[in-house]
This record gives sequence, structure tokens and C-alpha cells, in this order.
Amino acid sequence: MVLLQPDPFLNELTSMFEKSTEKGSVWVTFKRSSLKSKVQRNKMKTAGEEIEYRCLIRATFGNKTISTSVGPKEHQRFQSSYATVLKAHMTALKKRDRKEKKKAAEADKKGGAKKPKRV
Amino acid sequence: MVYITSWDEFVDRSVQLFRADPESTRYVMKYRHCDGKLVLKVTDNKECLKFKTDQAQDAKKMEKLNNVFFTLMSRGPEADPAEVTGKDQMDAQPTKKGRGRKQ
Repeated sequence: MVLLQPDPFLNELTSMFEKSTEKGSVWVTFKRSSLKSKVQRNKMKTAGEEIEYRCLIRATFGNKTISTSVGPKEHQRFQSSYATVLKAHMTALKKRDRKEKKKAAEADKKGGAKKPKRV
Repeated sequence: MVYITSWDEFVDRSVQLFRADPESTRYVMKYRHCDGKLVLKVTDNKECLKFKTDQAQDAKKMEKLNNVFFTLMSRGPEADPAEVTGKDQMDAQPTKKGRGRKQ
């Protein structure tokens, strides 16, 4: 696994999307992580140090995995570039059609219990 | 695990799941171009929430969820994603009425 800077990561991700057009899937995982081992974390805890967490992003296509991490300062910039990459490559999805009405009807039978909190 | 059919329910439950256990919850998206399918998954290794779609409009909704998770994960589970999700913020802007009426 290669830990990249956010920009090279996005470039690699773009090429993964390009390669995946004929077959295969692209996986992207987000996880909150301190990028430290458990031992290190425990040491820091006993020493009373604050553990810094970042958002770890991994992408996999076939047998290739790349990763990057963004901290609280860079995440907004990264998320907009990431959205641009997605928008440019998720072109196989269907545009609006009548199926969606059916989906909405099905949706009603679940989610009733919880109050939808808009974000 | 059965797919959740309602987007709002999926978002609600996945955020709850993350807040309950920020350190072991991950958010995965799988995109398969040749079949035009998109699958989103949120799991904490105990519970697993999945959402499947082939609709382009759901990709837009996903963008918002991406922002929510980026915010929660990089700033911490206490962060309020509403304050940084671009569009909502724009909608909320009109509160700035008294513009240019300083004295």
C-alpha cells in the first residue's frame, strides 16, 4: 500500500476510473484513523498525549491499492476535487427514469420510525 | 445484509453508526462502470448498512454524504457536518440581509 499526497492520489484515482471502464470495480474507503499502531496509541494515551485523527482514504482497483489521508485543514479542498473526479467518471449511471418512483414507494415502508435529520 | 432502500434512512443510520464508534466505522463506495452500479456501505464490523443504486441522481446525494464523512472523520465525530456541506451553506446564506446598510 502506498501512502500518497492528496493530489497524486487523485491522479491515480482518475487513472483507476479510466482503467475500470471495461471491467472491474473501483473501491474507495473512508476511515477515521490516527495512522499509528495500537502500541503507539497506548503509549500516547498513558503519556496523556492527544491523539490526532485524520481521515484515511483508500482506493482499490484490481490488485492495486493506493491511499492518502486528509486532516481537518485540507479536507474541504480535497472533498471538492474528489467530487470533481467522481462526477467526471461516474458516467455509467442512469439518468432519471420511472424506476425511481417505484423506489420512493418502497422507501416509505421502512424509514418511518426515525426522524430524518437533514444534513 | 439487506440493502436499505431509502436514502434518508441510510444517511441517518450511517451517521449514527459512525458517531457510536468512530474508530472502527468505515465508509466504502464501490463503483462498477461496466454495469453502471454504485454500492455504498457503512460498517463498524458488527452492523453493516448498504445502499445500492444505478441512478445518476443518487451520485449527487452521495457527494453530500462524502462531505459529511470527510468532515466527521477529519474533524471528529463532534463536528457538525451541516456547517461545511457546501450547498446547504449557500442556501443558508440569505440570513445576511442588512448588507451594505451600515449606518
